[in-house]
Amino acid sequence: MTSKKHLVGQEAPPAHLVVRGIDKSFGGLQALREADFEVARGEVMALVGDNGAGKSTLMKVLAGAYSADAGSFFLDGNSVSIKSPNDASDLGIQIVYQDLALCENLDVAANLSLGAEPVKAGWNFLPHFLRPIDNLEMESKANKAIKRLQVRTLHSVRAKVSGLSGGQRQAIAIARAVGTESSVVMLDEPTAALGVAQTYQVLQVVKRLRDTNHAVVYISHNMQDIFDISDRITVLRHGQNVATYITSKTTPDEVVMAMTKGIDKNSSGSI
Amino acid sequence: MQSEKKITFLDRLRTMRETEFGAFLPVLFALAAIWGYFGFILPLHDLITGEAESFRAIFLSPRNIYNLFMQSAVIAALAVGITVVLLLGEIDLSAAATAGVCAALLGVLVLSGVPGFLACLIVIFVGIIMGAAQGLLVAYVGIPSFVVTLAGLLGYQGLMQKILPTGNLNVGDPFVRSIARLLIPDMWGLFLALVVFVLFALTTIRKQVQRKEKGLELDNKLTVWFQIIVFGIILISAVLTLNAYRSLPLLLVLLIAFTALLDWITRSTPYGRSLFAVGGNSESARRVGMKIKRIRVSAFAIVGLMAAIGGIFGASRYGSVSYTAFAGGSLLLEAIGAAVIGGTSLFGGRGSVWNAILGALVIGSLGNGLDLSGASAADKLMVSGAILLLAVAIDALSRNSAGGR
Repeated sequence: MTSKKHLVGQEAPPAHLVVRGIDKSFGGLQALREADFEVARGEVMALVGDNGAGKSTLMKVLAGAYSADAGSFFLDGNSVSIKSPNDASDLGIQIVYQDLALCENLDVAANLSLGAEPVKAGWNFLPHFLRPIDNLEMESKANKAIKRLQVRTLHSVRAKVSGLSGGQRQAIAIARAVGTESSVVMLDEPTAALGVAQTYQVLQVVKRLRDTNHAVVYISHNMQDIFDISDRITVLRHGQNVATYITSKTTPDEVVMAMTKGIDKNSSGSI
Repeated sequence: MQSEKKITFLDRLRTMRETEFGAFLPVLFALAAIWGYFGFILPLHDLITGEAESFRAIFLSPRNIYNLFMQSAVIAALAVGITVVLLLGEIDLSAAATAGVCAALLGVLVLSGVPGFLACLIVIFVGIIMGAAQGLLVAYVGIPSFVVTLAGLLGYQGLMQKILPTGNLNVGDPFVRSIARLLIPDMWGLFLALVVFVLFALTTIRKQVQRKEKGLELDNKLTVWFQIIVFGIILISAVLTLNAYRSLPLLLVLLIAFTALLDWITRSTPYGRSLFAVGGNSESARRVGMKIKRIRVSAFAIVGLMAAIGGIFGASRYGSVSYTAFAGGSLLLEAIGAAVIGGTSLFGGRGSVWNAILGALVIGSLGNGLDLSGASAADKLMVSGAILLLAVAIDALSRNSAGGR
């Protein structure tokens, strides 16, 4: 367990999800080389790296979209296996992809319950997919989810997603991921396409996630956002992790340096 | 300034179409305009210019309305089915040919002595299989639905000719004929309409009360009452008009019943929600674990079902099955046109089966009105084309303004 000490040091919170020694290659290209990663409940772990460093691959391995060639997964210290997206969501690991995957033609409430619509009781003679949807229950659930994340600008859960702003959509996508009893929420570049005000709005939502004791993995290129929101920063380079920093004890320059040049193994920058 | 005005108009159009009831309004207006023109303006024009000696209100006479409803019923049955695949963003070009095969098979079956009821069930089953077969090719082999159903259109047309070598067959089976001939007695028809109206009003009001109890956002009171009143007026006046000529025919009751069932399935069940989800964003639907392939197949099966029902309606109404009435004629284009004029988007994810019925009435009224005013077949085709183009243009515009942010 020496590598663990090297990664997190004494000040790190107890990890919720831990992966060790992840290898993943696509044909001749080795995307991940013995990558280690961990995230604790109630923290925002930023995952940074240059293009092609393996951020997305690592995230998709965690979400079960790719299955790792080698490596072990631990949830609260118990060994688990993540081979498919269903495995991941059964373990409470949810991912919000960059494209959000919302149905624009449906309203907010319908999007939040998509694929798991509550049905009215008393129609047991019908197969589940033909029982009437309990729209009122669906709206109450949506209202609660929106309130929990404090998406203030959203006036009605009956608004069509096509009429919402980018920030609101991001918030809805996050709310959907959180709504399904998840403990780990991974966000892929959630603010990439947003303006200042909407970025602020999304960062507020991410903070709410942390406050509600979720383990948040935040992938971004935006150093300002990362230093604004994250508790720790994991740097990937060439498919390996270079270092993990505590955000309050590092600087953007140091992180960028680690991303682009890597660091000396014996350097004191890493904790 | 002008461009600003344009945007607000389109925005208003879009928000209006997004409400449950508002989606009906454009097609209702279109219908009102067509009826007003043929029923009022044209006779008035004839009267003033001296072409006619008296005000000839033929178009809006109960007899013509009755015929109009019956003429539109086959188109409506197909359009309702096609709406379901349009919701997925797919298309079915073979619906009319499927209806033709089903009608031909029905004729042959009853001729060979199969009881009418059984023959109808067999034909419905065959229709579902024909639709599902195309759905399998679309979903599992991955051929675009346009190509699969184009092949289906050709193949099923051929199949119909195989079943009907003469191209024509009389259907005299009393059960089959009774679907179009059986009339619901005046009082019972009115009673039925009243029951439906009261049920509609009660469920609407009950929903509002439940929303209040749960502290959810309420619908606008004015809209709720407007909905109930408009629904009641349309329903009761339709039944009264039909009663004034003959009575409510069983065929229309069946059509409405099937449409109501499909409306319920598409809008109120998890299955229906998955249709909309796949049409809106299939990737999103896949990620939440919906079985997209099965959904596609089932939607095509529903078209097959409605096509078979349309075939039975047609055979029942005409008392015969002919190649030109189904596969060879304009039925397919009229049915797709009806679905689109009703406001169902060709891009998937938006529409309603009730709108298909109204769209079928628009198409039917155009044909009927132009016939009455002595227009040529060429005029009919051109006007229908223009109306269809207008409907698709409205669809595309309201979509652009929605996605353009």
